[in-house]
Amino acid sequence: MRLDLFNTTAFRLSVGYTLLVTLALSVTLGSAYLLTESLITDEVDLIIDSELKSLEEKFARSGVPGVTDEINLRIESWGRLGAVYMIADANFERIAGNVTHWPFDAMPAERWPEFEIATIEPGRRAVHPVRAAVRTLPGGDLLLVGTDISQGRRFAEKFRFAALSGIGLSTLAAALAGFWFSYKLARRVGEVTRTCQRIMAGETGRRLPVAGANDEFDALAMSVNRVLDRLEEQAGTLRATFDSTAHDLRAPLHRLRTRMDALLLRSPALEPAVHESIESALREVDRLQRTLATLLQIALAESGAPLAAAASVDVGDLAAELVELFEPVAAAQGLALACRHDAPAIVQGNRQLLAQLLTNLIENGLKYVPAGGRIEVAVRRVSDCVRLTVSDDGPGIATQDRMRAVQPFVRFGPGAKQEGSGLGLSLVAAIARLHRGRLELQSNDPGLRVVVELPA
Amino acid sequence: MHVLLIEDDGEAARFLVKGLRESGYSVDHAADGREGLNRATEGQFDLIVTDRMLPHLDGLAIIELMRAKGILTPVLVLSALGGVDDRIRGLKAGGDDYLTKPFAFAELLARIEALLRRRAAAAHSTRLKVEDLEFDLLARRVTRGGREVELTARELKLLEFLMRRAGQVVTRTMLLEGVWDLHFDPQSNLIDVHISRLRQAIDRGTDHPLIHTVRGSGYVLRTDP
Repeated sequence: MRLDLFNTTAFRLSVGYTLLVTLALSVTLGSAYLLTESLITDEVDLIIDSELKSLEEKFARSGVPGVTDEINLRIESWGRLGAVYMIADANFERIAGNVTHWPFDAMPAERWPEFEIATIEPGRRAVHPVRAAVRTLPGGDLLLVGTDISQGRRFAEKFRFAALSGIGLSTLAAALAGFWFSYKLARRVGEVTRTCQRIMAGETGRRLPVAGANDEFDALAMSVNRVLDRLEEQAGTLRATFDSTAHDLRAPLHRLRTRMDALLLRSPALEPAVHESIESALREVDRLQRTLATLLQIALAESGAPLAAAASVDVGDLAAELVELFEPVAAAQGLALACRHDAPAIVQGNRQLLAQLLTNLIENGLKYVPAGGRIEVAVRRVSDCVRLTVSDDGPGIATQDRMRAVQPFVRFGPGAKQEGSGLGLSLVAAIARLHRGRLELQSNDPGLRVVVELPA
Repeated sequence: MHVLLIEDDGEAARFLVKGLRESGYSVDHAADGREGLNRATEGQFDLIVTDRMLPHLDGLAIIELMRAKGILTPVLVLSALGGVDDRIRGLKAGGDDYLTKPFAFAELLARIEALLRRRAAAAHSTRLKVEDLEFDLLARRVTRGGREVELTARELKLLEFLMRRAGQVVTRTMLLEGVWDLHFDPQSNLIDVHISRLRQAIDRGTDHPLIHTVRGSGYVLRTDP
C-alpha cells in the first residue's frame, strides 16, 4: 500500500490550519480597517459640525451677508485644507462659496451626503470626493460645509491593499508550510508502513527507523521495536518448542520402528501371521509419524514464522507435474484427472509446501470422488494473484460444513472414516495463509470446488 | 566399506550398528558431536551417518568443520526435524542426503548404497546400457533389444534414474525426490503405478525382465532376478 499524501491526516490538518489562519487574519485586519475608517470619518464629521455651528451663529448675528462674508473670508484665507463651503437660496442657486453649483439633485436625505468635485490642477483633471453636511437656515437658505476626503480614501485604499496582500501571502505561506509538514509526516509514516510491510513479508529482523530526534515518532518506533523484539523472541521460543517436541516424539517413534525393523530383518523365519502384524504395526507407526509431521507443519505455519526458502514458483507447471504424477492412480480408480493452466503463473513461495498443498487437494479428490467422476486442477492468473482451483463432481461438502472442513481432525462422508489424518485441508489452509493467500471452499454444482488465491 | 555413525541415542545406535554390520559394512560409533568430529577427522571413512541434534556439537556443525578441514567424505544426516526448511538447511550445510526419523532401515540402507556408489560412478556418459536395454541420453531415445521403446518425458527421467543406479535398490521416497523433486510422502501408492507403466513399456514381451520389486524396500533394475 502506498501512502497518498492528499489522503493523510496531516494534510487535512494543515488545510484546516491554513483556513483558520486566513480567517483569523481576515477578521483582525477587517476590524482594524473598519475601525480606522470610522475614526477618520468621525474626525471629519466633528470638524464639519463645528464649522456649521459657527456659521449658524454668524447667520443669527448678521444674516446671509454676514455668512457670505465669513465664507469668502475662510476660502481666501489659509484656512482648513480641503474645506468646501456654499450658501444657496431655497432654489439651490449659489449665493457664495467655493463650489460652482449645488452638487445634489435636491435636498439630500442622508445626514452626511457625499459628492465629488472636479478640479483642474496643473496638468491633469482630478476628482475629489467630498463629505458634507447641509443645514436649512431660518428663511429657507441652505448652508453646505464639506471636507475633501480624498486623503482618507487613499489611506483606506492602501490599508485595504496591504491587508488583502497580507492575508493572501499568509495563506500561501501557511499552505506551503502545511504541505511541507504533511509531506515530511507522510514520509515518516510511510517509512514506518513500509518497514511493517517488509516485516510482515518475513524480514522479521527488520526494525522501525529511529531518527534520533527524540520526538514522538522515535518514541513510537522504539515502542514498536520493543514489541517486535518480544514477538521475535516468542517466535524463537515457539520454534524451539516445536523442535524439541518433534525430537522428543520422533526419537521414541524411531526407536520403536528400528526395533520392529530389526525384528523383521533378523528373523526371516517368523510365522506369516506375526510377520503380517509387525508390518501392519509399522504402517501404523508411519501413519502416526505422518500425522505428527503434518501437525507440526500446521503449527509452524500458524505461528507466523516467515516462509522458509521462498523462491519464484510457477504454480501452473507445478500443478501440471503433480497432475501427471497422480494421473495413473486416478485412472486406476476410474477417475479423470486433468489440468488447465496459464503460463506463466508465478508466485513467491516454497515449492515443497505448494506441492504439498496441491497434493492434499488432489488426494482429497481421489478419496471422495466415486469412480467415473472427474477432478480438474486449474491455474489462472487474475490481476495481481494466481488463482488455483481444484474442482470435482463428487459428493461435495454441505454449505454449513464448509467452515468446519478446514479444522483439524474433521472428516466427512463414509469414504474417509479410516484413511487419512483429517488434517489435509487444515494443512492446505495453513500453507495458503503462510503464502498470504486465501482459501475458499465452494460448491461446484455438483461437487466441491476449492479455490486458493496466492498473491503473485 | 567403512561407515562412521554419530548418534547419541544409545538404543537406536545399537540397532543401526548391528543392522549395518549385518549388511556387510564395518561401522564405528561415536556417541556425541565432539567425539564424532574427532573420529571423522582422524579416521578414513567411506561414509558418515550423523544425527542432527547431538550433545556438544550438532550434526550440521560437524559437517561444516569437517568440510573446512578439506574432508569431503559424503555425509547422510538423520534428523528428528522434518520441516521443509530443516531439510534445506541440512543440505545447505553440506550434507549429501537428509533422512527424517523415523525411517525404515531399508530406506537408510538404500541411501547409504546410493551415496557410496555415487562416488564411484561420477563419470559422465552419453549412453546408458543394461543388458539389451539402451538409453541414448542425448537423443533421449530408448531401445530394448534394438527395438525402440516409446516413453513420456517423465518415464524417460524415471528410467534414467533407475539405469544410473542399476543393481542398486531404489526406494519410493528416493524416486519421488530424484524424479519428481518432491520431499514429502504423498499417501497414495503413486510410484508403484508409474513403475508398472514403465515395466509395461520395457519388460513386456521379454523373458528376462529388468525392473524388479524388492519387498519392503523399493525397486531395482538389474539383469539377474
